[in-house]
Amino acid sequence: MEGATVLEIESLHKRYGDVVALDDCSFDVPRGTLLGFLGPNGAGKTTAMRTVFGLVRPDSGRVRWDGAAIDSDVRLRFGYMPEQRGLYQRMKIHDQLVYFGRLHGMTRPAAQASATRWLGEFGLNDRIDSRLEALSHGNQQRVQLAAAMVHEPELLVLDEPFSGLDPIGVEAMAGILQRQAADGVAVVFSSHQLDIVEDLCDDVIVVNKGRVVLAGAVADLRSRSPRRYLDVETAGGDNAWADGIAGSSVVMRNGSRIRLSVDADLDLAAVVAAASAAGEIRHFSFEPPNLSEVFREAVGQ
Amino acid sequence: MNAFSQTWLVAVRDFRERATSRAFQLSTAITALLVGGFIVVPGFFIEDGPPMWDVGYVGTAPAALGQAVAAAATEPDTAVTVTPVADAGAARSGVLDGTYDVAVDGHDILTGPATPQELSALLAATAGGLDLSRQAREMGLDAADLESLLAAGRYQVVELEPADDEEDGNRVVAFFGVVFLFVSIVTYGQWILIGVVEEKASRVVEVVLGAVRPHRLLTGKVIGIGALGLGQLLLIGTIAIVLASRSTNLELPEATAATALAIVVWFVLGFALYATAYAAAGSLVSRQEDAQNAAFPLTLVLMAAYFIASFSFTGDNVVLRVAALVPLTAPMTMPIRMATGDAAGWEVLLSLVLMVTSTWLLIRLAGRIYAGGLLRVGSRVKLREAWRGAEA
Repeated sequence: MEGATVLEIESLHKRYGDVVALDDCSFDVPRGTLLGFLGPNGAGKTTAMRTVFGLVRPDSGRVRWDGAAIDSDVRLRFGYMPEQRGLYQRMKIHDQLVYFGRLHGMTRPAAQASATRWLGEFGLNDRIDSRLEALSHGNQQRVQLAAAMVHEPELLVLDEPFSGLDPIGVEAMAGILQRQAADGVAVVFSSHQLDIVEDLCDDVIVVNKGRVVLAGAVADLRSRSPRRYLDVETAGGDNAWADGIAGSSVVMRNGSRIRLSVDADLDLAAVVAAASAAGEIRHFSFEPPNLSEVFREAVGQ
Repeated sequence: MNAFSQTWLVAVRDFRERATSRAFQLSTAITALLVGGFIVVPGFFIEDGPPMWDVGYVGTAPAALGQAVAAAATEPDTAVTVTPVADAGAARSGVLDGTYDVAVDGHDILTGPATPQELSALLAATAGGLDLSRQAREMGLDAADLESLLAAGRYQVVELEPADDEEDGNRVVAFFGVVFLFVSIVTYGQWILIGVVEEKASRVVEVVLGAVRPHRLLTGKVIGIGALGLGQLLLIGTIAIVLASRSTNLELPEATAATALAIVVWFVLGFALYATAYAAAGSLVSRQEDAQNAAFPLTLVLMAAYFIASFSFTGDNVVLRVAALVPLTAPMTMPIRMATGDAAGWEVLLSLVLMVTSTWLLIRLAGRIYAGGLLRVGSRVKLREAWRGAEA
């Protein structure tokens, strides 16, 4: 259930000395969406996220929620999981979640109920009196996520939520984020694991050097790309037939199989003819780039 | 959500997490034991109960001498035993070896190093009085004549103001209070410093600051840890005063309660000021190892304030007078000037106003440094960068 835009990031600029962290960075986040926030290291993702929480003061530009400026009361409806994880090591995990719930304006009983519910969800209900430092790394990560969600936020901002998780943890995290979005929460997360993002996200934003270089639905971005990937395998013979295709570059060559990056308006009939002349076609695919390829094209790497 | 409830939540968390820690409970118990021991233990080496005085007398003592001395002694139930001694030599050696507290040989009162001053004075007066009345009887004067004769030469001392040693007593109590206050501010200031660096080092601060504005977090921490410190201070202070007031070997001046109250008030004010500064210092570093360096200038200022306070033993002076008004030094100097009665009412009032205003200002300033410093990880953040890095 994709809704109207609630979070608006409007032409943020931020410099740290000579380093430009954000350079006219703008994007919108609708309600009930899972938005993948992508970009190479140092692209300004963390700075942009911190700006939403007032942790960084932009040199110019603004962030708005529901059409209005964000003050400290509005921020209480947001949940944040920073890239650098951290909670109180010696505090009991249930107490800790209740504390964060109450800091976000919940009453004590509501915070207690929510903390208990989340710990149950993560299978930690027998550990409520454990101190954080006594938990395994994976469980600490779960408590961290619970701390971001305990107050049932309307906006969830997660910096690299999948880093350091094993495949089962990744699946569980993905499931939680999808449910949050389905409940109408606007979810923004950054990740370098583009296969996960491709499976999970409705929309993505790609930033590079502090600017948004790509934004939109994953499927649109893929088909909008001027490039296509041609994957052909012929029976016997070599792949020299492919050398004549104009505007192509070889991505991978392996015996009689070849993967090429080609123009989207390639004359496919001619390619099929050339390939069949070399040998019977065993495999033929002509696809838009996947998200990783779109990403690499966008950031020029 | 209002500012107060978040500040309160932060304060309660900091208070509770520390109060329930084994380290805190242990350190409180050990300090209480040390302070208590310091007051009680010397009492074991001092004889308890009313004095028992042994008087050696060369020859035959007047029958009423012992009783008369005992009756005139300040301690009730004082017992005086008068023992006849054979000769002057025996009296001297008896006093010197401690057999007698004092000895009388004719008109000589023989005293040694252990002789109580009160005893020798009482003995001289009583023996003299007995001699006088015996002489008067032999001259044929009756009791009424003797009384009027004595009354003619009697003078009395009228105390217009308590002697200086009472003021000195107040000064000593106040100074001990200030030592206590100094140690407390340093100790609990360290807690603040460690607590802030801990939050920064564990990165939890980024999550907290996503919801709480920096100056509220700062104020909550100062209140929470300050309340815990005050609780510990009151507990140990009460133990000290109760034990001291029951102990026979220590005498507390009358103004002790007022001085204790002043110490508590100035602790609260002084702690708020210094703790805020400690928090700002802590926000500039990322590791506990660097914390002491960042806080060094503050420790220096505290030490200086303490040394100025110790000038008070030479009496009131200009340095002390000024220091008692300056917010950084007032918590340690004003209680002493108040205890000795040197501070005028307007000085106390002005000092309080300056103190509260500067603390409020510092919280706003430190809040901004705190905000700018907390999210910078790695090497120590320069004060100016922190200032520019954030909104308050």
